[in-house]
Amino acid sequence: MNRHSLAQPARQAPLLRAGFIVVVALTAVRSAVAAPVDFMHDVRPIFEKRCTECHGEKKQKSGLRLDVKAAALKGGDHHAPDIVPGNAGESPLMKVVLSTDKDERMPPKGEGLSATEVATLTRWINEGAVWPDGVDVARVKDQRDHWSFKPLKLAPGSHSIDEFITAKLKENGLAMSPAADRVSWLRRVTFDLIGLPPAPEQVEAFVKSSHSDAFERVVDGLLNSPRYGERWAQHWLDVVRYADTHGFEVNTERPNAWPYRDYIIRALNNDTPYDRFIKEQIVGDALGEDAATGFLVTASVLLPGQIGKDEPSKRLARQDSLDEMVNNIGQTFLGLSVGCARCHDHKFDPISAKDYYAMQAIVAGVEYNDRRLRTPEAEAARKEALKIKGRLAHIDSALTRFVPLANSGTERPMVNARENVDRFAPVKARRVRFTIRETNNLEPCIDELEVFNSDDENVALHAAVTVSGENVTANTHEQRFVNDGNYGNSRSWMSNEKGKGWVMIEFASEQRIERVVWGRDREGSFKDRLATDYLIEVGDAAGDWHAVVDASDRQKFDAKATKPVAFSTKGLSKEEASEAAALMKEKNSLEAAHKAAENAQRVFAGTFRAPDKIHLLNRGDPEQPKEEVMPAVLSTLGEVKLGQQTTEQQRRAALADWIANSQNPLTARVMVNRIWQSHFGSGLVQTPSDFGNNGMKPTHPELLDWLAGEFVRGGWSVKHMHRLIVLSDTYRQSSASNVQAAEKDSDVRLLWRFPSRRLEAEAIRDSILAVSGQLNLKMYGRGYDLFDKRGGLSGFNPIEVSTPENQRRMIYAHKVRREPEAVFGAFDCPDAGQSTAARRASTTPIQALNLFNSRFTLDQSEAFAARVKREAGDDISRQISLAYQLALNRQPAAEELNDTISTVQKHGLTVLCRALFNSNEFLFQP
Amino acid sequence: MKHHAEHLSIGGRALLDRRQFLSNSATALGSVALTNLLGFDGLLAAENHAPIIDPARPYAPRQPHFPGKAKNVIVIFCAGAVSQLETWDYKPELIKWDDKPLPGGPAVTFQGPAGNLARPQYEFRPRGQTGKWVSDMIPHLAELTDDIAFVHSLTSKSNTHGPAENFLSTGFVLDGFPSLGSWVTYALGSESQELPSYVALPDPRGVPQNGANNWGPGFLPAAFQGTTMSSKNPVRHLAATGVSTDADQAARSLLQRMNARHLEAHPGDSKLAARIASYELAARMQLSVPEINDLSSEPAHIVKMYGADDAQNPDKAAFAKNCILARRLIEKGVRFVQLFNGAYASGGRLNWDGHSALKEQYDIHAQILDQPAAALIRDLRQRGLLQDTLVVWCTEFGRMPFFQKGAKGRDHNPDGFTCWMTGAGVRPGVSHGATDDFGQKAIQDIHPLYHFNATILHLLGLDFEKLSFEHNGIQRRLTNVEGKLIPELLA
Repeated sequence: MNRHSLAQPARQAPLLRAGFIVVVALTAVRSAVAAPVDFMHDVRPIFEKRCTECHGEKKQKSGLRLDVKAAALKGGDHHAPDIVPGNAGESPLMKVVLSTDKDERMPPKGEGLSATEVATLTRWINEGAVWPDGVDVARVKDQRDHWSFKPLKLAPGSHSIDEFITAKLKENGLAMSPAADRVSWLRRVTFDLIGLPPAPEQVEAFVKSSHSDAFERVVDGLLNSPRYGERWAQHWLDVVRYADTHGFEVNTERPNAWPYRDYIIRALNNDTPYDRFIKEQIVGDALGEDAATGFLVTASVLLPGQIGKDEPSKRLARQDSLDEMVNNIGQTFLGLSVGCARCHDHKFDPISAKDYYAMQAIVAGVEYNDRRLRTPEAEAARKEALKIKGRLAHIDSALTRFVPLANSGTERPMVNARENVDRFAPVKARRVRFTIRETNNLEPCIDELEVFNSDDENVALHAAVTVSGENVTANTHEQRFVNDGNYGNSRSWMSNEKGKGWVMIEFASEQRIERVVWGRDREGSFKDRLATDYLIEVGDAAGDWHAVVDASDRQKFDAKATKPVAFSTKGLSKEEASEAAALMKEKNSLEAAHKAAENAQRVFAGTFRAPDKIHLLNRGDPEQPKEEVMPAVLSTLGEVKLGQQTTEQQRRAALADWIANSQNPLTARVMVNRIWQSHFGSGLVQTPSDFGNNGMKPTHPELLDWLAGEFVRGGWSVKHMHRLIVLSDTYRQSSASNVQAAEKDSDVRLLWRFPSRRLEAEAIRDSILAVSGQLNLKMYGRGYDLFDKRGGLSGFNPIEVSTPENQRRMIYAHKVRREPEAVFGAFDCPDAGQSTAARRASTTPIQALNLFNSRFTLDQSEAFAARVKREAGDDISRQISLAYQLALNRQPAAEELNDTISTVQKHGLTVLCRALFNSNEFLFQP
Repeated sequence: MKHHAEHLSIGGRALLDRRQFLSNSATALGSVALTNLLGFDGLLAAENHAPIIDPARPYAPRQPHFPGKAKNVIVIFCAGAVSQLETWDYKPELIKWDDKPLPGGPAVTFQGPAGNLARPQYEFRPRGQTGKWVSDMIPHLAELTDDIAFVHSLTSKSNTHGPAENFLSTGFVLDGFPSLGSWVTYALGSESQELPSYVALPDPRGVPQNGANNWGPGFLPAAFQGTTMSSKNPVRHLAATGVSTDADQAARSLLQRMNARHLEAHPGDSKLAARIASYELAARMQLSVPEINDLSSEPAHIVKMYGADDAQNPDKAAFAKNCILARRLIEKGVRFVQLFNGAYASGGRLNWDGHSALKEQYDIHAQILDQPAAALIRDLRQRGLLQDTLVVWCTEFGRMPFFQKGAKGRDHNPDGFTCWMTGAGVRPGVSHGATDDFGQKAIQDIHPLYHFNATILHLLGLDFEKLSFEHNGIQRRLTNVEGKLIPELLA
């Protein structure tokens, strides 16, 4: 439905040849016949006999149907229009009918059309392809005539969820189940809203509570808990296929993605109105929410180095990355598979290929990249980075003392354009002369020449200077810049002789000097004009010159060497080496801190530039561009059309305004359905990301519309929707099954009971940690490691040692795309390749092995046992009782206690803890 | 009931309970409820091609759409893109044109500027009854050509390893779609209930270029994810380390009693029974996986035949052990085995990505692949397993007829390359399709990889147009909206 194979050039030749012959043949036929062809009598029978089996009401291969006038004259996906009235020779229909290529010819089965049939069709087309109106038996369904594209239907008066559910149950001879007991409800709603079980004290308080609004209080408490956002953000991240790596082969770390994850958690906790939430994710750069636009770039992407060097590869990669953005917007907010229209008009929904590319034009200036964050935290990090940089500069300068002495027998590193240190035994000097004998090319250039005395003072700074000559570029290359204390090419001296030149510094008084430091460009931009052979001489008080250093004991210069010279303590004394090593150690840790501080200022949330021109692509092939397409929203659902001059940000803003609008018939419906689904395990519409013609119809259309209306009326408050749902009688029903009702509605679509289900991977892991007492509630920030690496080609080995950091909630794990977490991945954790609008809940023996035998479970079982012993004391009955309360929110029955005591006595409490973590009762929402 | 719980196995207990509302063969009512459990909704049931899956036995064998010739599959997946020109697609013109520029050839390909045409880096000679020309690089495999059906005219949609391996394994260049093995086991389940239905055996040198996406379930239920193991690394979490056998058994038994009581209190919930059954399956796996991994029962002549005893070449010996393992898995009824040869991107050092020093690197890789893979096919045949087993050899794309500028290797070429199959249902001794005289582009009977995958499904009795799964509004298939059979490959 979306991508086709690339066009196959080899096939084009025979087709074109055939086409050419056809033109000649058909023109000849034309003049020979007189009476006009009758469509009903002559043409339709041919279509019916030979074509409509594949191009009719049931099937529309290649998007072509020949049983309905409008569709037939519009044409199919590949050659539309297939019929060119008045010109059979130009009509693709005739070309394929006459093709000699067996892969191309139509019809593909049996004999081709007879000569008479061909002649009839040819004449009919040449005579203008007259197709009378009103003769067609079939009708094309108007794709726009679909419930979800129409405005909400709001029944007047006030209503409730229970009213709609009860009515539908009654229609089907069913009724609601009795209410669940308080503990079951509490456990259910707690898992549901915060993804953790309630603590025993909370159970006790609720059971004893005589407040008339006891249920409301519980719900408010849960919705106000920071744990709520951590739980519900995961549902959202599933849909947008969030991950912390770039995907594809190289699967490199995406180190700055997490601020988007944190944004979602915060937005949910703050109950950011959903319309605002949408706008922030599409155009948050205009709304002071930079991290939110991480939404645009959540997909896998090929990084520049991974894309082919040939132009078609680059175009295809860009198309794929734009496609991911369009898909994400369409699926997430509108519940439409807009991506289907990449290659041809959507088969089921009123989305044309042009609509698709108009949507691409909206995001055509978005690049997958890091952007600067403008939050207080980011500003603080920026300051921190500066501070660290200052200290690093200091260390770097200190480290220049720790180079091997010249002529000490140790080979010194080769010269490099950035900075070189020549260290020698202290010597008394009035003058220093630096003579260049050879360069890698052109006239030599030196940005700064520094001479340090034994007090580590640069005595060359602003001293008198003479040079051999100079090429002056005012304010850039001048003699005075060679010792002015400023680095970089723009403050440097350049000789006027190729490969030669000298600089002489004269001190005001005699100095005891021991180090000369010089470079071509300390800022690292220039690598030319580098002195590769040179001599440093010292002039004494008597006026005699003594050579102290030259390049002969340096490694021979190699222009191809690209790696910077690694620091080494080779050739240093023991004391020097240890001092240098300490500095290096500090440097390494500062560099890591610097990187972290740099990262904390950035978010992988897209960068924005002038949009590319977007063209309609034939069959989605970037090598077959057709007309240019202007940015616009889906044409049958909205009227927003923008011009080419519309700026990048304005385009996204216009799209966001159109989506986040109470008049948009899809936006509120799609979101309330997602919320409903997360509470009941399945939505009122069972295809949460497809509200189009091919999706499921809502089981309770009036309820869906009422909820959507409530959503908008309540200021797009998501928490308001939670309250409505979890405080309903529908939600409070018992989950117990009954045979009669199950016979009528085995899937519980009509909600005659609460549909119990297994917890998701994250909730299981988090709950185990909560029960064992190990859960670390630290919020936000860089994800913790599940594997021994954060991205890369291969070999993700799981980390099996429990640490406080990895005992945080699973939403804070560094999510490696496509790499299932070693224990919980098997519990249908999405791989973040494609969007997951609804989690599956499959059952596999691998899950059982993981949960029963993994180091994680064993460690947590021990921690759980230790906690229980600590809190319950030595009495085994009390221990068992507390373990049950912590894990299952209930006391063990007498029978259970008896059954368990002997096992615990014999094998220890850990055995019970391990069994509890694996038990169905623990893992299923009651 | 409670006194029974102790005496029945978990599976027996679950079965007893399930019988009331499922029946063994899944009645209409039961099947609707059950398909729902694995995330299949009414929409799919209505499509009526969706397999009916018992969540208590997701690997249970299921009927194909029509009787297929093959029951099981081994896919030998050579990661990194094996050059067709050094192996199966003999181009004598290249010898004549050696070191001359390709007239009208591209200036720049995937990795950069193109150099001159380069002759095949190995000698070719005719083999077997068919006289098929195959190179000396793979002498053992070359002896099998009479039984093989080659397609020389395959094309891929991407010239980049990641997307192209996705395309080969899942039919889509993007991440996140179900792999061939997941589709097959989703459709057919497995003959073995004690082993995973779908096993991926990564090369001992490392995982292939697109890693887990090659055996990922995408949006299919996790039950159909490929389980990785190798002769070196068995399945993870097979046993609880550091726990005494007694304590382990006590925990298992306690869990069994807890779950049995819970099930009794929640009659009619098949999901609970399914989880109970999964622990029994897991317990059986704990015994059968180490057993299958223990190659010590293999006789010396078999070990030798595969080259698993090659002390000089540990990489070859390790790959050979994976090949033996593949055979053992098939013998036990595992439905789908994916055997990788070649690891991740490494400048061609660890896989077939011969950009710069092709001959030098292929000498090494061929040693590892050739004898073990050929022995696997021979061994399957001598045991009669090839009657039911389809063996597929594939790679994500081919390589260019010219060297890269300044290098002795070939760049990526998605426009014409070779894969092959042999075994159940395959017409032996076929060479189908052709590339041009230089082996650069497919020109005759061009087949995008969709067709190759469609043909694999067909051999298993699966209609590639019917095998589908609804995801976000689209009825997804392995072959997207494309695909057709390559009848020339069928016996």
